[in-house]
Amino acid sequence: MSQRVSGPEEARRASPSRPRKPFLTQRLTDILTHSSLASRLALGILVLLTAFPLYWAVVASFTPTATLFRQPSLWPTHFILDHYRALFTTRDFWLPIRNSIVVAGSTTIFCVVVGSLSAYALARLHFRGKGPILGFILAVSMFPQISIVSPLYLLLRALHLINTYPGLILPYLTFAMPLTVWLLVGYFRQLPRDLEEAALVDGASRWQSFTKVILPLSVPGLATTAILTFIYSWNEFLFALSFTVGPSRQTVPVAIALFRGQYQVPWGEILAAAVVATVPVAVMVLAFQRRIVQGLTAGAVKG
Amino acid sequence: MNRQRDHEIARGGTGKVATHSVATAPSVASPLSPLSCRPPHSDARFAGVLVSPTLLVIALVAIFPLGWTVWESLHRHDLRLPWLGRPFVGLDNYVRIAHDPRFWGALAHTAFFTGVTVSLELVLGLVFALAMNRAFRGRGLVRVAVLVPWAIPTVVAALLWRFIFGANAGIANAVLADLGVIHHPVVWFVHAATAWVPVILADVWKTTPFVALLLLAGLQNIDHALYEAAAVDGAGPWWQLTRITIPLLRPAILLVLIFRTLDAFRVFDLIYVLTGGGPGTSTEPLALYTFNALLQNLQFGYGAALSVVIFLITFGLALLYIKGLGAGVTGVSQ
Amino acid sequence: MVITYSGSAVGTQGQIVKEQIARFMSLHPDIVVKVQSSPDDATKRHQLFVQWLNAHVGDPDVLELDVIWTPEFAAAGWILPLDRFAPHPSDFFPAAITANTWDGHLFAIPWYVGVGLLYWRTDLLKHPPASMRELVTLAQKGMREPGGPPYGIVWQGARYEGLITTFVEYLGGFGGEIMDDSGRVVVDSPQAIRALTFMRDEITRSHVAPPEVLTWHEEEGRFAFQNGDAVFMRNWPYAYALLSDSTKSRVAGHFAVSTMPPGPGGHAAAALGGAELAINRYSEHADSAYALVQYLTAPAQMLERAQATGDYPTRPALYDDPRLARALAVPIDQVREAIEHAVPRPVTPIYTQLSGLLQVQLHRALTGQTTPADALHQAARAMTAVIRESGLDRAREASGEGAPSGEQR
Repeated sequence: MSQRVSGPEEARRASPSRPRKPFLTQRLTDILTHSSLASRLALGILVLLTAFPLYWAVVASFTPTATLFRQPSLWPTHFILDHYRALFTTRDFWLPIRNSIVVAGSTTIFCVVVGSLSAYALARLHFRGKGPILGFILAVSMFPQISIVSPLYLLLRALHLINTYPGLILPYLTFAMPLTVWLLVGYFRQLPRDLEEAALVDGASRWQSFTKVILPLSVPGLATTAILTFIYSWNEFLFALSFTVGPSRQTVPVAIALFRGQYQVPWGEILAAAVVATVPVAVMVLAFQRRIVQGLTAGAVKG
Repeated sequence: MNRQRDHEIARGGTGKVATHSVATAPSVASPLSPLSCRPPHSDARFAGVLVSPTLLVIALVAIFPLGWTVWESLHRHDLRLPWLGRPFVGLDNYVRIAHDPRFWGALAHTAFFTGVTVSLELVLGLVFALAMNRAFRGRGLVRVAVLVPWAIPTVVAALLWRFIFGANAGIANAVLADLGVIHHPVVWFVHAATAWVPVILADVWKTTPFVALLLLAGLQNIDHALYEAAAVDGAGPWWQLTRITIPLLRPAILLVLIFRTLDAFRVFDLIYVLTGGGPGTSTEPLALYTFNALLQNLQFGYGAALSVVIFLITFGLALLYIKGLGAGVTGVSQ
Repeated sequence: MVITYSGSAVGTQGQIVKEQIARFMSLHPDIVVKVQSSPDDATKRHQLFVQWLNAHVGDPDVLELDVIWTPEFAAAGWILPLDRFAPHPSDFFPAAITANTWDGHLFAIPWYVGVGLLYWRTDLLKHPPASMRELVTLAQKGMREPGGPPYGIVWQGARYEGLITTFVEYLGGFGGEIMDDSGRVVVDSPQAIRALTFMRDEITRSHVAPPEVLTWHEEEGRFAFQNGDAVFMRNWPYAYALLSDSTKSRVAGHFAVSTMPPGPGGHAAAALGGAELAINRYSEHADSAYALVQYLTAPAQMLERAQATGDYPTRPALYDDPRLARALAVPIDQVREAIEHAVPRPVTPIYTQLSGLLQVQLHRALTGQTTPADALHQAARAMTAVIRESGLDRAREASGEGAPSGEQR
């Protein structure tokens, strides 16, 4: 597909367009599929629309509350840092950030380590029941979280794990584990078979071929999987809301959601927190955009 | 010879000896193929060892709780009313659900939300995917722009949109007033109809990029030769879209439909933050109603029954899709 | 040893609590008190507390409860009966003690009382309204003044507990009740329907209340009133001090308070609110926790708090103290009378569930999704069903009074 860059242009010029559709639809698809200007325009709109709420949040988070509510302006009038200062001093926003990093980080490490083992088996080994196991893992990833919230709550309560890090990491495995396995199976399958077979022929065991051949080759895939797992865990809300007690273990989304309803209706601080919560994922997206897209479209899992 | 010994030792489990020479490509073909040099069951045993931790974890944190939910749903269990105990009531909770107008309302809201957002996202996603499927400069910028909304926490997205649609300071009202569309600020969250607007916009904003990227991956798999052949035959762009692009995109579209439908059906964070289910309960989805029954009213029996119902509906939808799509799904995911 | 206090920890209230806790720690060097803020939206805080206490962890040790939660938390076995600390209930307003007593035991110490107040603008009006009808006409008059505010009256209308307190005051004005003395739900009485219709008409007919109030909690209303945007505001006493701060408030010196006026067939009614301090049953440091409770509810701290925030003390003895009279700025007899005649909300362990059902229906009617009559009939039906299923009414019939014992768990 790489060799035909100018294909569509040619097609448009050559085509007498069969008049089977009303003019407007015809015209619209014509524009979308063939006009470079129009698709640029569409993309421009897309970028603007997606960026606008974020832009507005950033501007508002630097705007004094009084200005914000008197006369909202799309262009920043004067910048203040008060909301950010308040966020990190009076509200101690480092705490939820630390909690989120610990929980999302541990979940990611655990899932990638354990998940890569089974993903290797599912992608590379021949054994019976592979199909059903894959289907089962996929099915679990589609579980509505709310369906298991109450037993997990009772279970964690019985184990005295409410409001602890393990008490969040364990529930997070329900969605993170299937996600990592699914992504890694897809990745391992893409690797050429020759190298591994060569290693086996050379006398390596399966375990060796996995650790010495497959894993080193899979660093990009493992990284992608880790990033996606981290993002999903970072963003999780329902479990974090249900299984934490007070700020000591609250994660970032829960802390932000519960800002609301406090006496001051602190929109400035809420938006500052929103910006802070967005920065890590935005940085990851910036740094690994290509990989993330590959991972997403290969695994096509959305939690 | 040496090789053979290494092999044996490694299989014996020490694993230390074989650290060298494995990654180098073999220059001499071995007379034994890797499969024939070990009995078939060895793979299976090894695979079992590798797969079992994952399966164990999933069983512990997903399957066992699900079973528990089903069992719990057959009991009357109100944590707030400890004097009632936890009597077995059979299918009573399900009968109550059938007669619970708030449940039917929540089901309708969930279906409405799912239908509207998924169709909007599919159409918009296709438009943007078609636009993105052209080599151009600034592709990275577009990718980042679409990925950020997808990557930020839903809670944050919901708060942004709540702020945008605020009655007094909301920029949405300001913009609409400047455009002359409205003359008085709209109080978005007090009417059932207008409260849906920010909810749906927020979801479309957050999820369309994901849909577009999936469809784009599908588009990139379509062979350009098909379009050229069609063009030679004198086919117009509409014909190409409906006869080539969409049919060949079917697996990707179906995939999007599955993931987005199941996802939209369990919507929670977005509405919890944006409307809290209000005004009244007119935007309350099933997951939020269930959450309230469980963790606000502590009706664990009834809440469990609601959970089971959500699970069954989700499961049914998934089955329906998979049946409808057949083998098409796996096409794109590999 | 570390104990945790969880309650309102922002604004003036948060400030004074932090100061008092700091002093408590210097008096008790062996105790460290961590302050955990929790949402001030009563419904959200309630949900969190329920989740936390139900998790059976010892943290937080000391909880600031809304007055309506004590029976629920006590009956569910989440908070500690205080008998073993030998408190002195007779030092407090009897109504406040009743609200915190369950099954014969005191479960929380009243910290401050709140009563619903009608704030009105003295620069726009000469006197407060004497009737509901006059409330509307005066609101319209004030809005028509040159440079008059855009809103006639603002109250708490979001779907949360605050809506119930607003409703209780209109309800009393029209002579209705949520539950009668025998515990029957009577919230769909003709009086109640008239009261809710009146509230709806304020929004849709006379346009004195902006539709925004249906998303507002206490603070949004206060902001509006403070910016000079409303003639009347229904709110709690805490707003008084904030509104008097001329650096932030445009109405400082231009407002006064009164109670909600009576409507036809009713009486002037003020909702009884306020906060209590209770101890987590699973607290590992109950004695230290009680020491903190005792310190915060001691006369000196109560007086100091009243001076800082305008919250009304729960100890009648303080009302003879001239310092309190000076602190409150509202004539002290008026306050005392308002407290003694305030309307309590139903005392039942399933209050929040009943309230939740009522909130939804009130909000549906006010947002025009159904008629007031239909909404209240539905609410009454649902509430009655919940009471029946809880077994509370049978227990009452059997024992002749009260609800089943909270001890049999």
